[in-house]
Order: sequence, then structure tokens, then C-alpha cells
Amino acid sequence: MMLSRVADHQYWMSRQIERAENLARLVRISEEMLLDDETLGRGSAQEYWTPVLQATAIEESFRTLYPSPKQGDAARFLTMDLRNPDSIVSSIRQARENARSVRDKISDEMWTEINDLNLFVTSPEGIDLLEISPQAFYEKIIASSMLFDGITGATLTRDEGWNFLQLGRLLERADMTSRFLDIRSQSIAGDDAEESLQWGAVLRACGAHAGYRRVHGGEISVERVVDLLLFSNEFPRSVRHCLRRANEVLHDISGTPIGGYSNQCEKLVGALLARLSFSGPSEVMAKGLHNYIDELQQQLNAAGQAVFESFVLLPSEVSRHFPRHSRQDNLSDWQREQQQQQQQ
Amino acid sequence: MLLKDYKPAQLFDELVDQSGTVRPYYKAIADRLSGLSRDELTQKIRSLELLFLKQGITFTVYGDEKGTERVFPFDPFPRVIPANEWETIEAGLVQRITALNLFLYDVYHEQRILKDGVIPNEVVFGAAHFRPEFVGVSVPKDAYIHVCGTDLIRDTDGRYLVLEDNGRCPSGVSYVLENRTAMKRVFPHLFGGGVRSVDTYPADLLATLRHVAPHENPNPNVVLLTPGVHNSAYFEHSFLARQMSIEIVEGRDLIALDGFVYMRTTRGLRQVDVIYRRIDDDFLDPQVFRKDSCLGVPGLVDAVRRGNVALANAIGTGVADDKVTYAYVPEMIRYYLCQEPILDQVPTYLAWRPTDMKYILGNLPKLVVKAANESGGYGMLIGPSATKEQIEEFRQKIIATPRNYIAQPVVNFSQHPTLIDGGLEGRHVDLRPFVLWGDTVKVLPGGLTRVALKRGSIVVNSSQGGGSKDTWVLNT
Repeated sequence: MMLSRVADHQYWMSRQIERAENLARLVRISEEMLLDDETLGRGSAQEYWTPVLQATAIEESFRTLYPSPKQGDAARFLTMDLRNPDSIVSSIRQARENARSVRDKISDEMWTEINDLNLFVTSPEGIDLLEISPQAFYEKIIASSMLFDGITGATLTRDEGWNFLQLGRLLERADMTSRFLDIRSQSIAGDDAEESLQWGAVLRACGAHAGYRRVHGGEISVERVVDLLLFSNEFPRSVRHCLRRANEVLHDISGTPIGGYSNQCEKLVGALLARLSFSGPSEVMAKGLHNYIDELQQQLNAAGQAVFESFVLLPSEVSRHFPRHSRQDNLSDWQREQQQQQQQ
Repeated sequence: MLLKDYKPAQLFDELVDQSGTVRPYYKAIADRLSGLSRDELTQKIRSLELLFLKQGITFTVYGDEKGTERVFPFDPFPRVIPANEWETIEAGLVQRITALNLFLYDVYHEQRILKDGVIPNEVVFGAAHFRPEFVGVSVPKDAYIHVCGTDLIRDTDGRYLVLEDNGRCPSGVSYVLENRTAMKRVFPHLFGGGVRSVDTYPADLLATLRHVAPHENPNPNVVLLTPGVHNSAYFEHSFLARQMSIEIVEGRDLIALDGFVYMRTTRGLRQVDVIYRRIDDDFLDPQVFRKDSCLGVPGLVDAVRRGNVALANAIGTGVADDKVTYAYVPEMIRYYLCQEPILDQVPTYLAWRPTDMKYILGNLPKLVVKAANESGGYGMLIGPSATKEQIEEFRQKIIATPRNYIAQPVVNFSQHPTLIDGGLEGRHVDLRPFVLWGDTVKVLPGGLTRVALKRGSIVVNSSQGGGSKDTWVLNT
């Protein structure tokens, strides 16, 4: 048993770290690809970023804030811009704020790692590194996220809090993997060589290159990439794998045996897992990759909302109207002022 | 070598006497500090501040858009208090909190002290933090102030004076504990043994809180209620909750139903028995106090009235630490305890008394003027360093609402050698000891020594350029 708000903070803390890591993976690969002539051969750098912005659902706010974007603006918006609540630095900052709220529930080592990362990304050293060697900057974020995961595994008691941390990370990872697939589903219209180059990039973004080769060999095709990233039971970043683990975690929290459900969240995740377990790339191709992923993401969103409704709200509150739960505490100024007034 | 260049000033210096000789109880620490070079010292301080930053031992600077968190500057030269001096302070503090709790019980029940004419009615009824709604309501064990942080200063003769009592939600104790941990870690060789430990504070605080559990519940659910992460003392709230292994909750985590208070957990509701609240009365319950409060719990006050949940500190203690009430604490001690006050306090002029008002208005440039209900160094006029405009502004305010203002002569706080730019310079210090009122009264040995880092400044508040030091109470 734990405070609902604490569960919520733990869930979002790990979600936001995982998000920062995945965005770092995405921007790193995208920037690397941009250096290749083949990619730039057709269209401008801005056009190149469009599917990335679409897949991360921030295209609209980018166009508003940067009406005539210059080179590097898209990457900056994804990485550093605090006006983008889902930028890498915003995600890290929110993760750190969530960690601060549950400081007494996580290990000192976990706190130090996330606090250090937050200090780093906004420090002069961090900003310099991004300028001089963006790849190193993104790698540092990826490494830090994985270190955080490792520290968590090595220092945290396996209680309910642990389960909520896992749940956040797994749902975010499933969501981001599906987004990686979506980027290429929208932009591919080239020859085979270019197609395989781009799918190769998706695999690398997910750290799945080696995993792919082991299962499917050197030749890269859409179906096989989809097979690995959506349906693999063994690859740790595949959507199915993440959902299987999330399902286990949920049943661990509720104590309900796997195969049934006792809350909305278990029901949604279980149903989605069953769907992925009993279908394959051919169904995806028949429906169209983008459509399939669109649907998948809606279901993942519903599962995320169900976490909030199942564990944070009281049963009597679920039916009432609640503002959509956001990833950050959007405190208004007066709420913040009230928090600040209490001091003697 | 650092000490050689140290120049005492014309006021009480903690380290050296008037002839410039190091006081006997400082000898050991002064000798050990002398063994450190400037560079060594500076470098150690840097590593300490980095440590604080990394651990998030920070406070939030208000009025700063980015919500910047800062490290509370730490000075490595500990303040030393010899055992006999401490004995007097401790006895004085125990006497004071006893009188304050008796006073609070009295004004919320029979009001004998008013009827006997010892304190004028308007002192109590005019206090912004007096809660008439709570007259006649009893609190567990008749305890009102469970945790008190009393600010002490020393005048030019080295006499300890009470500057103010903080009996609502005093903060700073986490820095006492963290400063000690940091000192042990970075300057282990400075401790020669014989420094009294501060480690038991969290356990003592928890015992104090459990002591007031309603219905004599032997296994109460105790929680700490914080305003939230944006509060400047959030680090402390989180620290104390962790040390006591209790839940830290926000208002939205609690719900009051049928006169009981519960916390929302992933497995449903769980009853709460004692709330160590770190938010002001005004924000506790929008049904009773401020309607716009988003920090409180609707129905909480009803549960308190019914005796199903205990608050520490109790509602309405602000009437006791009001700056006007302060002037009457010596009278309270005589009235309730038939004793003379052990600790002196600063002479205080009350603007609502016509003779005092006349004196205040005629001597503003020489006085410190304070708003009766402000804290944190806000709402204050320091006459000698104020501009004409500021003085005029306060003159108008005092005339408009006399009950809200008091004035005191400027006390030359004692100074303590402090590391400034690699050398030692004298800086003004105060002392906030923490007193716990439970089954027994416990005073944490030492307390928070705050130091005004700006030359000549007497404002020690962290929000306004203050720092802190470790405080050593010696065994002998």
C-alpha cells in the first residue's frame, strides 16, 4: 500500500526518464542520418524533420514557435527547448521534480543520478557539449537513463513503488518504440537501398541492430523490422515484450492471477497484449503500418489513463469530470504562491 | 594562521574577548583550524557546497521565475557553546515553552490571564493569528506548541536575549542535522570529542508527535503535511519524513469524511491520526479558514474539533508568537509559573500604546520596526540603515495600523569569525534552538546558528543572504 500521489510520481518519474532516453536516441540517429547525402538529396533539412516532429506529436507547437525554422531549430526544439513540455530537457526536469516529490521513497543513489543529470543538461558544460559534440551529449543522456534503471534495480526494494516505476518505464518504452516505427511509415518513398538505410536507422535508434541480425540476418525489410519491434517476445524494447512485462507488474500490484483482471488498466493492457500475441506483420501490412500504429497508440494512451483512474483517483471520483492528467504539475501561479507562503 | 589576521569588533565576539584572547572553550577548535591552509579550507568548502547541491539540500528562491534552488551557504567555523552556558539557555527555553503552552491553554479556555488584567484583552483579541473559533476546544494533552524554534541573539555584554518565539511552523532543523553530517564528513579532525550529538532529534520529534495521538492510540499513523515541492522548506519536510519513516503528504492526499481524516493510497483509504503540519492555519481547511486554499483539506478542522486527529502544532498558536504578545512573555512566566524569566528579551515598544507610539515615531532612525505577524525577515525596517523614503513609508503604516507594529532598539548582535574570501572576518550570528514539547520537554543541543554573510548586516534569513554554521554544545 502506498500513497496514490506517490505512485503517480514514481510512475511519471520513470516514464519521463525513459522518454528523455528515447528522444535522445531519436535525435541522435536523425542528426546522424541528416549527414548522409542520400537523405538530403531529396528535400530540405526541415522536411526531413517533419515526420520526426509528427511522430512525437509536437509538430503544431513547433510550427507556432518557429514559423520559419532555421537549420538546427527542430533538433533544438526536441532537445533543449523548455517551451516544449516533451523536450529532452523538459522531460528530465519533470522527472527530477517527480523524484524530489518522492525523495523519501527512492534510494539516495537514484536521487543523485537524476539530480546530477538535471544539473548537467542545463549547466554550461552540458550546453557546450551539445554544441561541440551532440552525439556525446545524447549518449550521455542515454547512458544516464540506463544507469538510473540499473541503480533502481540494484538499490530499490521490490515493493509496490518498484512496480509503479517499472510500469511507467515499460508503457513509455512501448509507446516510443511504436513512434519510431511510425516515423518511417510516413516518410518512405524511395528505392530499396534507401528504404533499408532508413529502417536500419530505426533499428539503431532502438538499439535493435544486433538483435535484428541475430534473428533475421543482414537483409533489412519492413516486415521483419515490424516483426521484431512490435511482436518479438524476446527483444526488450519490442511493444509486445514491454506489454507482457507491464501486464505482470500490474498483476503483481493487484494480486490478481494473470489471465483475468481486477481493474480497467489490467483489462486494457491484457487485451492489447493478447492482440499482439495472436497476430503478426501480415495483419499490420494489410491495415497499413501508420493506421495500425495509430490505433495501437490510442490503446496505449487509454492504458496510461487507466493507471491514473485505477490507482490515483478514488472510485467515486472516476466518473466525475477531471482535467486530462498531464505529465507535469501545471500549477497556476497562485497555487505556487500559496505553497511558498508557508515559512517561519 | 588564519586567526592571526582576525580582528574583533566593538561588540561581543564569540571567539575572542576584548583583549583579543581566544576564549578558553574555543581554544581546541581554534588550534585545529589553524592547522589548515587557506586553500585547503576554501577547497573543502567548495566540495561541501557541491555535495549539498548534488544531494538537493537546497531551498527555493522566491520571486525567481525559474524556481532556482540554492544551497544554503555553509560556514565551516563552528559556533561553540560551553556546557554551563547551554544549561542556562536550556532551562530558559523550557521555562518559556511551558509558559507559552499554559498561556495558549488559558486563552482558548478560561482566559484567566485576561480577566486578571495581566495582559490587555486587545493583545489577544487583536492578534491576527488568534482563533476565536477554537475557544473552548480541547487539544490532546493540552499541548499547543509541540515544536518551537526560539531565536536568540547576544548583546554587547554577551547576554543571550530572546528575539522571537516561532511557535507555528518553525523551520531550519534539517540544516542542523545536515550541517553536522557535513562537518563530520569534511572536517572529521576538528572534532576532538566532547561535542553533544544532535542525532536523536528525528526520533524525539516522532515521540513528541505520537504522544498526542487521539484516543491514546498506541500505534498511530503519523504523517507530515507539506505545502508541496515549491515551498522553500520542502527539502526539510522530505528530510524529516524520511528520518522518521512517516509519509509526507500534500493536502490533496488527504480526505476528511465524517469527522475522520484519511490518506488516499493505491489500496483505498487509510486513517490518519497525527498530522505534523508545515502549513499555516489559514491554509489548513478551506471550509473554515481561507476559502481559496488549495493546500488544505476540506473538513480537517471538523475532525480536529471532534478529537479524531491531532495537529502539531495546534491551531491558533500564532497568538503566542505574535510580536506584540512577545512583549508580555515575561509577565506570563511570572503569572503562570511564579518564576522570574531565566532568559532576558529585547525591550519592545508597542505602537498601539500612545506613549510608545510617540517614542517610536520620534526615534524611527534608531529603531528596528517589525510587523507583528510577519516572519522570514520580511516586513521589517532597520532604522539606522533605512532611507528617508522607507522611514516615511513605515511611519504611515504604523499610524494606519498601530496594532500591527512593534519597535525595538537596534541590538548589536554578537559576531563570529566567518570564512569570507579565504580569510576570517566577523559576521553577525543568531541562534535558533529547537524545543520539543512531548511527554518530557527536550531541547536539541545547539540549534541552527545563522550568520549574516553581508558585512554589517543583521539579517540572517536564508532568503536574504544568510548562511549557517554547525553549532557545538560542549559536554563540559
